[in-house]
Amino acid sequence: MHLEPFEYEKPNSLVELEALLSKHADEARLLAGGTDLLVLVKEKILSPKMIIDIGDVAALQGITADPAKGLTILAGTKVSTIEHSAEVKEFAPALSFAAAQLGSSQVRHMATMAGNVCHGSPSAETSPVLLAHGAVLTIAKAGGERELPISDFWLAYRKTALAPGEYLKAFTLPALPKNAAVEYAFKGLRGAMEIDMVNVGVYLELEEDLETVKEVRIGMGAVGPIPYRAVKAEAELKGMKVDDAFFAKAGELAAAEATPIDDVRATADYRKKLMSVLTRRAFSAAFARIKGE
Amino acid sequence: MSDRKFSVIGTDQVRKEAPDKARGEAIYADDIRLPRMLHGRIKRSDYAHARIISIDTSAAEALPGVKAVVVGSEAPQKYGIVPQAPTETAMAIDKVRYHGEPVAAVAATDPDIAEKALDLIEVEYEPLPVYVNTHDAIAEGAVALHEDNKYGNIAYQARQEFGEVDKAFEESHLVIEKTYKTSYVNHVFMEPHSAVARFDDNGDLRMWSSTQVPHYLHTMLSKVMDMPMAKIHVTVPNVGGGFGGKGEASNNELIAALLSRKARRPVKVIYSRREVFLQHRGRHPIEMKVKMGVDKEGYITAIDYDGLMDGGAYGAWGIIILFYTAAMLHLPYKVKNVRFFGRRIYTNKPTCGPMRGLGGVQPRFALESMMDELAIKLGMSPYELKLKNAIDKKHVTVSGVHVRHSEYKKCLEEVVSESGYLDKHGKLPFGKGVGLAGGYYISGTAYTLYMSYKPHSTALIRLDSESGVTLQCGATDIGQGSNMVLAMMCAEKLGLPYESIHVISGDTKNAPFDLGSFASRVTVAAGSAVCEAADKLIEQILPIAGVALGCRADQLAVGNGEIYSIYEKEIRMPFWDAVEKYIAAHGPLSATGSYTPPRRTGDFKGGNVGHSPTYGFTAHVAEVDVDTETGEVKVVNYNEAGDCGQPINPLSVEGQVEGSIVMAMGQALYEEIKMTPDGRLMNPNLHDYKVPTMRDIPNIKTLAVESYDEDSPFGAKEAGEGPIQPTIPAILNAIYDAIGVRFTEMPVTPEKVLAALAAKGQE
Repeated sequence: MHLEPFEYEKPNSLVELEALLSKHADEARLLAGGTDLLVLVKEKILSPKMIIDIGDVAALQGITADPAKGLTILAGTKVSTIEHSAEVKEFAPALSFAAAQLGSSQVRHMATMAGNVCHGSPSAETSPVLLAHGAVLTIAKAGGERELPISDFWLAYRKTALAPGEYLKAFTLPALPKNAAVEYAFKGLRGAMEIDMVNVGVYLELEEDLETVKEVRIGMGAVGPIPYRAVKAEAELKGMKVDDAFFAKAGELAAAEATPIDDVRATADYRKKLMSVLTRRAFSAAFARIKGE
Repeated sequence: MSDRKFSVIGTDQVRKEAPDKARGEAIYADDIRLPRMLHGRIKRSDYAHARIISIDTSAAEALPGVKAVVVGSEAPQKYGIVPQAPTETAMAIDKVRYHGEPVAAVAATDPDIAEKALDLIEVEYEPLPVYVNTHDAIAEGAVALHEDNKYGNIAYQARQEFGEVDKAFEESHLVIEKTYKTSYVNHVFMEPHSAVARFDDNGDLRMWSSTQVPHYLHTMLSKVMDMPMAKIHVTVPNVGGGFGGKGEASNNELIAALLSRKARRPVKVIYSRREVFLQHRGRHPIEMKVKMGVDKEGYITAIDYDGLMDGGAYGAWGIIILFYTAAMLHLPYKVKNVRFFGRRIYTNKPTCGPMRGLGGVQPRFALESMMDELAIKLGMSPYELKLKNAIDKKHVTVSGVHVRHSEYKKCLEEVVSESGYLDKHGKLPFGKGVGLAGGYYISGTAYTLYMSYKPHSTALIRLDSESGVTLQCGATDIGQGSNMVLAMMCAEKLGLPYESIHVISGDTKNAPFDLGSFASRVTVAAGSAVCEAADKLIEQILPIAGVALGCRADQLAVGNGEIYSIYEKEIRMPFWDAVEKYIAAHGPLSATGSYTPPRRTGDFKGGNVGHSPTYGFTAHVAEVDVDTETGEVKVVNYNEAGDCGQPINPLSVEGQVEGSIVMAMGQALYEEIKMTPDGRLMNPNLHDYKVPTMRDIPNIKTLAVESYDEDSPFGAKEAGEGPIQPTIPAILNAIYDAIGVRFTEMPVTPEKVLAALAAKGQE
């Protein structure tokens, strides 16, 4: 495989990383797992002048769970670590499940969730779950940090809110309130190693009565140029009583807000149908999880 | 089965090479690194159909590190697996006929340099109309892909008729006529084509290649390189699967040889996965118009078949496969009236060719679907209809094909009882269903692909008290386990352990002649040759042992490493002592064996095709769950009962059958090469071309029915191509049972299921 030459840096600390990034803002690419980046470089879709490998930056590794703050996942954490983490399984089981659907075991041991999110693919496995969780991103650069709701992160097809010199440092998934659950549903042609035709993450929070919707979030994938929330559906569903009609309505509204295209994997029409069924099923599963079923 | 007692045959044996393969230590062609070896890369066409106006390689030749550049006109000799009708050259000469066809090649000291050099080759094209479907290719006024072909873009066409077809239809109680279409699929063997070529100072060519057919590669190298066969030596290292796709010379082999001769250095040419899809030779998409009739009791009255085959750009195995689709109409059921019309069409696509179960899978899909439909319309169980029509233990078809041994009825009976088919069919809730289908395949062929009457397989066994048993046979182990099968047979014959047999195979100089691994021929053909050689050795040794033991040779037998009297236990001696005595008295001890299949033919066009020494049979029941909201089809349970004669290694048989089922399941549900209208492949990679993963594989139960073909070596028959035949119709029949929709095209994707359900709902 013929690769265009590039410079390679492997910083040991955030300070070194931020210095490299600010100096080579326009021409550098971050290498975390490489499962997307190196494919693009080999196919000559990307030709970065410099690749900065964050594999040795210990300050980007780890998962912490805090009852008040929620779950924090640092950007260098491997997908397989997220998949198997006891904290993730306890506080964000749908994320653990979504992580387990990404690529193959080999890929999950290399790839990071930050890579999955920053790559900006509309069908990325973890993005809908993070949208449903209302995850907050910590974005850093030399001399500063900012926080951004994940729903504001993707701007257009494979374009993110990262400015030159910035990098994604951490994900924070706010602690789930009582009576709330997140579920993930997806569909590819085969059972694994897929680019999903559709995927969706849903958040359902109930009032104390356990039958009135207090809050919902719907994160949709592969039905538009970016993963995004079905905000109109969310507004309409709030306050409804949870029953079969609610589940069906949720599906219909999500499908109505989906804007898919025809491509090699599926037609737009089929994707809308799938979005309706998957959203309905995901809400039904979330309801069952809240009720402890 | 008979009362035969074997010590090696019929036991589960782990292949000797398996640990090496699992550890990555086994040597494949790509692992070969010779001193001064160059890396070859292939410049490929940017058009699917165009005239080549000019090729300028000067800039590539000037690039430092480039040692040779070759173009098509340097090897103008056409070749093909069917030598009467060669259509291909090592690289395109005046014309390209598919997008990605080789037009030039470079050998350089480094693969990166070779790739860079490809970008420096300038090719000027004059585009021609592109045909990516058969109907466009044979439309009035279409430009012929091959100007020297007599019938425009119809590569071949043939008719056969047996019995009184029209009269039989008139007298039928029920007749169905339908069109079925199969899709454009690739084998997806793990190892891409890989070849290394080296010329020595004597001008002799040595080639190491991942081929299934060292002999046919040998003949084609001789033709294209214009060299006597004796100056060419082909060796096959470990091969990572072939399934037919490596069943003739591929461009990389010829190009490696051409580059090596020009550069005077060894050259390796390996394919990327995309190039594997371009070399292709996958299954022919066929549009089949099929008509079938039955009488009141469900007996088949007649079959009328019209198949339009999409052949892609070149001839390859095409004419053979066309006639196999004809032959496959006659079995495994008794059919008295059969009409066949087949056409193979040239299109601007990577060439179709032999793929596991060639010629059978497409018509089997149509016929087994149709029989299911006929039975249900008659109010009869498809099992009953199939059992009624199934051939008996011996059968002769109206086309003159002799089946010397069949346990097909047993396959049907046992798969139905194992799977609980009769309790489930038509009785499961909406969305769940079971489907039954049967099939068969040849265990070898009666003819070579060129006119020749020599034995199809030969073997040489050498016994030496120092080096042990050396079994030499040109049969080629491509991962199917032929080395193991032959060693097990040899071990059983000589009364020695399997581990003690050393096999040298897949080599045109170091092993005696064999046609190669295709048509499920090796177990019966090469196995017979090995058995004959082993029998001759025993004949030579026993008289020596008889003298030593003071006993008649015809009262002696071999077993457990000893030679012993069949009457008196105490009369015995170690096998190797007898070998030692033989060598001391007579010199080296070796014997050869050979196998020539029975010759049969029919007095009609294609009459040689379909005859085989013996045939394997199989029956399948698939059980599916259809998600009626998403359209997803999940195969949940799968049962197979097969007649492969005596399984030599039951563990390997199970692997062959499971592999067949999974391969066909991929074609039924997921796999399809997609193309743009201008002939570019849209998914030539394993991410977008979807073979099943472990998560998709159902719970599979296979079973070998009691069977022993008295005329086969150790009663064995094929197990690697028959079991792929019924899988697609079994799954599609199960889908019908689940949701009442009959699919006539593959793959049955969730989207198609949902659309069909919606259409059904509107009815």
